[in-house]
Amino acid sequence: MSDMFVTLGTWNWLIFGVLLMALELLAPGIFLFWLGLAALLVGLISFAFAPGWQLQILLFALFAIAAVPIWRRLARASAAPSRDNPFLNRRAAGLVGREFTLEKPIIDGNGTVRIDDTVWRVAGPDAPAGSRVRIVQADGAHLTVAAA
Amino acid sequence: MSGFDIFAIALVLLVIFTLYSGVKTVPQGFDWTVERFGKYTSTLSPGLNIIVPYFDRIGRKINMMEQVIDIPEQEVITKDNATVTVDGVAFYQVFDAAKASYEVSNLNQAIITLTMTNIRSVMGAMDLDQVLSHRDEINERLLRVVDAAVSPWGLKVNRIEIKDIVPPADLVEAMGRQMKAERVKRADILQAEGQRQSEILRAEGAKQSQILQAEGRRTSAFLDAEARERAAQAEAKATQMVSEAISQGDVAALNYFIADKYIKAFGQLAESPNQKVIMLPIEAMGMLGSLAGIGEIAKATFGESSASAVAAARRAGSVPSAGTPPVPPVPPRT
Repeated sequence: MSDMFVTLGTWNWLIFGVLLMALELLAPGIFLFWLGLAALLVGLISFAFAPGWQLQILLFALFAIAAVPIWRRLARASAAPSRDNPFLNRRAAGLVGREFTLEKPIIDGNGTVRIDDTVWRVAGPDAPAGSRVRIVQADGAHLTVAAA
Repeated sequence: MSGFDIFAIALVLLVIFTLYSGVKTVPQGFDWTVERFGKYTSTLSPGLNIIVPYFDRIGRKINMMEQVIDIPEQEVITKDNATVTVDGVAFYQVFDAAKASYEVSNLNQAIITLTMTNIRSVMGAMDLDQVLSHRDEINERLLRVVDAAVSPWGLKVNRIEIKDIVPPADLVEAMGRQMKAERVKRADILQAEGQRQSEILRAEGAKQSQILQAEGRRTSAFLDAEARERAAQAEAKATQMVSEAISQGDVAALNYFIADKYIKAFGQLAESPNQKVIMLPIEAMGMLGSLAGIGEIAKATFGESSASAVAAARRAGSVPSAGTPPVPPVPPRT
């Protein structure tokens, strides 16, 4: 066992790194990808300096941890909002800006609007039934309206 | 193997587990809640997320897609005491993962129970007929009540549908009979109305025809009377003319008419096939004597020249058109 670690050379790290990345493809969870990246990096360093195997393992651990904030920055920079369906699973948010007719009057701040054959309760300034309202804010299933 | 060797290996393992617990990929359609030391702190939305290892833990994984749950069958007693079996479906969607996770325990069971009790209260306030025919209204009322009730749980109930309403079998049978009786009744009424209508029409037709007949008779009677009047007038005039002619001429001309008519009547008697014996009144024999008078007239007439025959006839008291009595003109029918 210890032989294997001791003999961990440049190529072993590179092979290890590639294998981890391949595993990531088979079982997506992202974190194996980072480990693979770290292993590849350790392999490259060991090419140049050939440190002891313990140091190599510690470097591997260090790189794996360090990958997280680096990746996070990259991910944030490249995180594009979903283009096709920005309101997938966020139905209420998709209603903001649209206008509807009040089904029941808003009394004491609460009324109902019929949208897509179901009834939504809305909050907003008092208005009689049948008046047009615009949805200005959606918080969970709570819609806030203003007179359109 | 030195302690450092083991430490290095353990450290790598720790790093691997740490990464595993810190990096979270949330699939689309789900929201995960994050608990720091057991207390809810935030919600992870779909995509790659990082939580602080050792501090944070994933709490609940909430399905944010619209879901359907079956409302199990239950017996409901309507306002008019009929027991019907009802089941349904409810569609809901979680809008707030945190509330759905922590404000209610056993979310599905809560929705089912809430819906079932509301079905009972809504249908219990209606008659059986209303329950069977106002499904939309039931759905609507259920939706409003249940949706308001689940609001604190971060949900929205989008739809509640009553699937089946099954009245007891004997009631169904009675309803069937009632419907049949209703139809039979309507058919009978329609038939009776038809008969009534046709009888009325027939009677009216008869009445009309009788009226028309009577009117026809009346008109014809009027016309007959008029004809008779006209005939009488003509007769009177003819008589007057004859008597005038007589007063101016020969009385013997009178005999001519009598004889003429007599012979015609006699000829008719003779023509009838079953008359072999002809009874003549005694006076008839006397009438025959007037033939001699005719002979005298004829002698007087034909004895003269034909050119002055008319004048001779007039002298002898005869009428110009010998042989035919003056026929009164038929009055024109009006």
